[in-house]
Amino acid sequence: MKKILFYIIISFSFIACEDILVEKPKMIATETFYTSADEIEAAIIPIYYQLQRGLRKNYHNIPESMVDYLYARGSYLPVHRFQGLDITNINRLSDIWIRIYRAIRDANLVIQNAPKSEQATKEEIDRFVAEARFLRAFCYFQLARTWGAVPLRTEHNMIDLAVPREPVNNLYDFIIDDLLFAEINLPDIPKMMGRPIKISAKALLTEVYLTIGNWAGARSKSYDIINSQMFSLVPVSKSDDFYNIFGPKINGSSEEVWYLKYNQDYGSEFACMGHHPSYPYLNGRGHWGHYTDSVKNKVISEWDPNDLRKAFNLYHYNGYILGSSTTMFLKKFIDMETTNNYAATDNPFYRYADVLLFFAEADCRINNGPTNDGVEKLNMVRRRAYGFNPNDPSPVDYVATDYDEDSFIDLVLKERGYETFYEGKRYFDLKRVGKFAEIIKDVHGVDINPSILLYAIPNHEIEYNEAIDETDQNPGY
Amino acid sequence: MKKNPSNFEISEYSGLIKLLQIMKIGIFLILITVIQSFAVESYSQSALINLNMKQATIEDVLTQIENQSEFYFLYSPKIINIKKEVSIQVRDKTIEEILSELFTGSDVKYMIIDRQIVLSSELPVNAFRQQPRTREITGTIVDSKGETMTGVTIIVKGTTIGTITDINGNYSLIIPEDAKTLVFSFVGMKTHEINIEGKAIVNVIMEADLIGIEEVVAIGYGTMKRRDLIGSVSSIQGEALSEFPNATVTHALQGRTAGVVIQQTSGAPGSTPQIRIRGNISIKGSNDPLWVIDGFPVENANLLNITDIESIDVLKDASATAIYGSRGSNGVIIVTTKKARAGKTKVIYDGSFSVQTLRKKLDVLNAEEYMVFTNIQQLNDFGSAYFTQSDIDNAGDGTDWQDLIFQTALVQNHSLNISGGDQKTRYSLGGSYFNQEGIVKNTGYSRITMRSNIDHDINKWINVTMNTILSRVDNNVKDPEGSMRGGNFLHSAFAAPPSLAPYNDDGTYRQFYMDYPFINAGHVNPVAWVNEMSAKWYRNKAMSNLTLTLTPVKGLSVKSSLNVHNTEYRWDRYYSKKYPTIDGSAGIESRNILELTTNNIVTYHKSVEGHDFSIMAGSTYEQFRNTPFSVTGDGFIHDILENYDIGSATIIGIPSSSFSEWKILSFLGRINYSYKGKYLATVNFRTDGSSRYSEGNKWGYFPSGALAWRISDEDFMQQLSFISNMKFRFGYGITGSTAISPYSTVNLLTSESAVLDKQLIPGFDPRDTYPGDLKWETTEQTNVGLDLGLLKNRVQLVADYYVKNTRDLLNDVQLPSSSGYNSTIKNIGRIQNKGLEFQLDAFVLDKSLIWKISSNISFNRNKVVKLYDGQDITGTWYSLAWVGDYINLVREGEPLGVFYGYLEDGYDDNGRIKFKEVDGEIQRTIIGDPNPDFVYSFNSNLSYKNFTLSIFLQGVQGNDIFSFSVGTANCDYGFGLNPLSEVLYDHWTPQNTDAKYPAISMTNSYRVSDRFLYDGSYLRLKNVELAYSIPTNNIGVQWFNKAQIYVSGQDLLMFTKYPWYDPDVNTRGGSTSINQGIDHFSYPTTKGIMFGMRLEF
Repeated sequence: MKKILFYIIISFSFIACEDILVEKPKMIATETFYTSADEIEAAIIPIYYQLQRGLRKNYHNIPESMVDYLYARGSYLPVHRFQGLDITNINRLSDIWIRIYRAIRDANLVIQNAPKSEQATKEEIDRFVAEARFLRAFCYFQLARTWGAVPLRTEHNMIDLAVPREPVNNLYDFIIDDLLFAEINLPDIPKMMGRPIKISAKALLTEVYLTIGNWAGARSKSYDIINSQMFSLVPVSKSDDFYNIFGPKINGSSEEVWYLKYNQDYGSEFACMGHHPSYPYLNGRGHWGHYTDSVKNKVISEWDPNDLRKAFNLYHYNGYILGSSTTMFLKKFIDMETTNNYAATDNPFYRYADVLLFFAEADCRINNGPTNDGVEKLNMVRRRAYGFNPNDPSPVDYVATDYDEDSFIDLVLKERGYETFYEGKRYFDLKRVGKFAEIIKDVHGVDINPSILLYAIPNHEIEYNEAIDETDQNPGY
Repeated sequence: MKKNPSNFEISEYSGLIKLLQIMKIGIFLILITVIQSFAVESYSQSALINLNMKQATIEDVLTQIENQSEFYFLYSPKIINIKKEVSIQVRDKTIEEILSELFTGSDVKYMIIDRQIVLSSELPVNAFRQQPRTREITGTIVDSKGETMTGVTIIVKGTTIGTITDINGNYSLIIPEDAKTLVFSFVGMKTHEINIEGKAIVNVIMEADLIGIEEVVAIGYGTMKRRDLIGSVSSIQGEALSEFPNATVTHALQGRTAGVVIQQTSGAPGSTPQIRIRGNISIKGSNDPLWVIDGFPVENANLLNITDIESIDVLKDASATAIYGSRGSNGVIIVTTKKARAGKTKVIYDGSFSVQTLRKKLDVLNAEEYMVFTNIQQLNDFGSAYFTQSDIDNAGDGTDWQDLIFQTALVQNHSLNISGGDQKTRYSLGGSYFNQEGIVKNTGYSRITMRSNIDHDINKWINVTMNTILSRVDNNVKDPEGSMRGGNFLHSAFAAPPSLAPYNDDGTYRQFYMDYPFINAGHVNPVAWVNEMSAKWYRNKAMSNLTLTLTPVKGLSVKSSLNVHNTEYRWDRYYSKKYPTIDGSAGIESRNILELTTNNIVTYHKSVEGHDFSIMAGSTYEQFRNTPFSVTGDGFIHDILENYDIGSATIIGIPSSSFSEWKILSFLGRINYSYKGKYLATVNFRTDGSSRYSEGNKWGYFPSGALAWRISDEDFMQQLSFISNMKFRFGYGITGSTAISPYSTVNLLTSESAVLDKQLIPGFDPRDTYPGDLKWETTEQTNVGLDLGLLKNRVQLVADYYVKNTRDLLNDVQLPSSSGYNSTIKNIGRIQNKGLEFQLDAFVLDKSLIWKISSNISFNRNKVVKLYDGQDITGTWYSLAWVGDYINLVREGEPLGVFYGYLEDGYDDNGRIKFKEVDGEIQRTIIGDPNPDFVYSFNSNLSYKNFTLSIFLQGVQGNDIFSFSVGTANCDYGFGLNPLSEVLYDHWTPQNTDAKYPAISMTNSYRVSDRFLYDGSYLRLKNVELAYSIPTNNIGVQWFNKAQIYVSGQDLLMFTKYPWYDPDVNTRGGSTSINQGIDHFSYPTTKGIMFGMRLEF
């Protein structure tokens, strides 16, 4: 009997406190978040985190391995052969895919949950939703131009197991819809550099319209930006002055429209691939996966040495390396104080110079040839590059009458190549203008395998998305 | 601890011995000590008994006394008339008074030896009285190692005259003049009969009865005699574990018992091997067994010094493990530390030194060959040679990098154990120091352990014990695993260019890519790495428990205990400024882990006419809390700061901290029943509530039961006298696994910071795993076993067959990556393990030459029965620059983690690898299996006089190894990596198309293929030892009880076809890994020679 008594006492002493089995994590749960404006804002920040993480390295390094002005070595060499992607690089791209979709997930959560907030005002909610929709549009734009048709995940189908590849046209409609909302509801001036404003939406819309051939739209949006008078080209009188735009500590220059930001605590990784460690640009670091040659590479050898951008962008290796004595490495992105392989330099997605060149391109397209207005925008960029005042006529100016539509587009493309050298934009520009195969053949003497125009849909998407199978893969994989 | 009176024959004292053996040895020692050494009130004087029985038989009265007290009677019913009816009515009387009343007027005589009462007839005593001529005989009893023995029973054969040795091993006995033979007996020792005619002093050396099946086995919340065991439990004695130096208990368990497979993940000092009991049952959850130290669950037993362990019991089948419910699925390892024992103070010192060296140096190219090799690649890829002929001619041997990295390592181990105590208070104290240098410079492991065990009787029925273990571990780590292109010191230790020296002319470390442009920037200078990259951790563990045991009534025990297990851990990393490209980089991680456990257990034991019941019931509560914190800093002004002024860093990383907690509340019960030791049954039940599972799924129920039949005790078996023990066992039970980590069922947000305005701004987003609604993983296990003892148990065989079916397997179900989540967890999937285990122990010789052999072999077959939607689960993707893919696969119908890759088909015309077509196209197929067909070991112990020779062989058969080590070392060309010599001498050229290696070119394309697959079978001489016991008595060193010295060798021989360091490797192994059987630059293993001594005072 005593035994039973003991047992009963012991048992009851515990049953009384069975609620000890309820988990009380010291963490925030989705179900209880998004109630106040501060919380919604805290839910937006990770979208940037995912993008900064996903695009910090290979979204730059792989496209730059497929351009006219560079060569690639090591594990990027297979990319530079233009014959398709090897498994290592397919895998690198699949990591980018994952990060972009996580950013979309985070944006969708905000778009879905912010309107339910009882503490935030209507204006606040609209602004947050606009920011999320801008970033979502940015994500889908990257997906559409690298992978083509991709699953469209909105706030309505976030964890569905079957979401088919959405035709590219529909993707662009969706992107434009998001951006038009953002254009209205985003703030006029940024709360922090790196967060979009109305103008940012216009800049992104410009490139989207250019990509789908809506020239009027592109011209109109880029014109709005120029007309806003909010931006100006950073003046340059010597090569190193360009570091006033690209330097690791520069924040909010007069030409910063919308960048993906990095700093010394969380740096970008693409700079590392352009440097040789025997130089101080990255504090004695560098993986020199990308390089070029002042003699052997046509783009470089034809680049006017008086163009201050040439000396700014390139440095010679002092000696014989990679089978040449005229090998050059790349110094647009530097960070002499870094203590690791990362650099505090931003990824300048939209600078004012981009907008000016977009305008020149769109204006030429819509008028079937260059106008004075369009040429002027191109000249602004060119004048600055030679150390002249961008707004005054200069000896290096182009004249509209020297060009027809095709040759002017070529000219803009060439100028854009120098201006956005090693910014990760060249591959997309060449594809967008439809000159990719031609220019690669011309410079490198290689016939491209068309499969590199679109990347491979990652295996995990094909395997686990019930609406996609092997037959839906992009050609060549 | 009850006897069956009818089985006892007073004329043959084997019955007495058997009875003594049955008793827990500890209690017995306490009892006899009391009698012999202390002038305190004895139990017979203090125990008061009440009886009120009418018309009862003597037998009933004796039983009643036994039930009320700790007395027990020894008698023969042939001599004593136990059916005689008596009436007795006493109150608070001593046993003396009662016996006097009970047997007044009969011829029954009694002798009270503390709690033991021998009843005899008048006759022998009368005979003795009629022979008043007596004499005294004295002597000292020692064991085979020269240690004096307390409590040995000495009886004049054929009489009840006897005594017990005192704490010094001495006895003195008045015997009849004509007594011819003395019988010496002791639990666990062979009984000796010595002719004493004409002798006044008889000293005896007792020999261990090595064939005992009466050992006590820990079974979870209780103990049991091995004889009565129904479940499948293997026991290992502490002595065997400490035979040679092992950093952790897990290392020491390798090969020691059937059904337990231990694989090294790394040869680094202090690394934790992978351990599996009866196969892998979980994909997502842990496959590690539950460790229980002195009754309390812990994560592992690494805090213990091995010499502090008294025994280890491994619970394997469900009828044994189900008492641990939701934690029992992977088996349970119960560690019992040395317990307090009464007696003369005993001091034992164990000490050893050993010298360890790299088992195998790799044969790589020298400087001249390296240049030739590099030129072959450069010519193939670029059409021009890099090195000139004069470079090659002047190169010579160059630098031997391996010699610069590896060293001869010293291991030392010292431990001191002190035990003793009296009737009321016993103690066992211990201290130890273990220090192991690594064979890689600047690595090592050391541990200091302090232990105390105090056992005190507050009064007759309340006992308190306190057990405390303090353990400090320091580990200096260099983790070389998983690198490529010389990215880590180990790969670089043989891949570094032999044509370059470690230092530049100015004394700074050389960076190879500065000298050779084809070398990767990430290719480290191994000397710089070993000298300048420091990572170390320490861990302080304190485990302390207090147990109160009440025994208010005979047979009933109520035990309540509390255990506190606190771990303080700190990890420090510092990369010095001297390391090229680093400006001083520090990282600190510290954590506190608190585990609290309470056990409340009631047991009741009752024995009636051969029916023996034992009932246990109780509850336990367990709580685990982990609070880590970490921070990093880069860029320091001076190396002297290391990581002790992190605030002075140029860049301070984002600090990180978190909180994790889980709790389990359990109720448990067990009933054991046996009838005459022939028919045995047990029923267990446990229910667990876990905080980790969703509401409504929190509680799991884990019943089990088992039956055994000792057929050898049946009458019809008595003819087969060579069978001394034969028992069939059958068990079935259900266990669970708390496979998921805490908070898996809640959609939590984690903090992620983004850069905006050049500053880090914190935010929150979901984790990569979408939460699921989860319940227990459940394992159902059936076990059939046979225990066989032949030739008086000289040969003992234990055989077990089991089938383990695990259902509701928690699985990562992959989500399309476009969902933004990697996966979610679902309770879907089934896995099956079945297998056979054999354990054989035999005394081949047991005369002056003692030869004991022991061997075990285990077969396990694992099969994935069902997965979510038939979806394959792939192992980790390995992204090496020369190959990138996953290797292991979980697929329905296949064993867990098979290797999935391509089959090679020779070379094409350019010396590039071709791959075989499967079903018409080049595709992957299952190319190998990391699971062994069987594992085995063989142990031989040969003793002659003072010498003992032990041999321990251990092996694994039929597993495959996927060797990233060989691949990364030998197949990646164009980056100046120095390969094994065979690559230079056997690669594809137009003249050598059947070569082992392809053409030397950086454009080779590799896939996960059978090229990298090797047979992982091995047999090794794990230990060989020669020990010598110094006969201290003979050389007049009386204060020594014992002195033994020994020399041994570890891993001196290895038979294997595996070409890399060691086939006992599982680089990616661990508790949850499906990435089994991969070798990817694990820290290399050692061989060693050891000298040691064991002294006892």
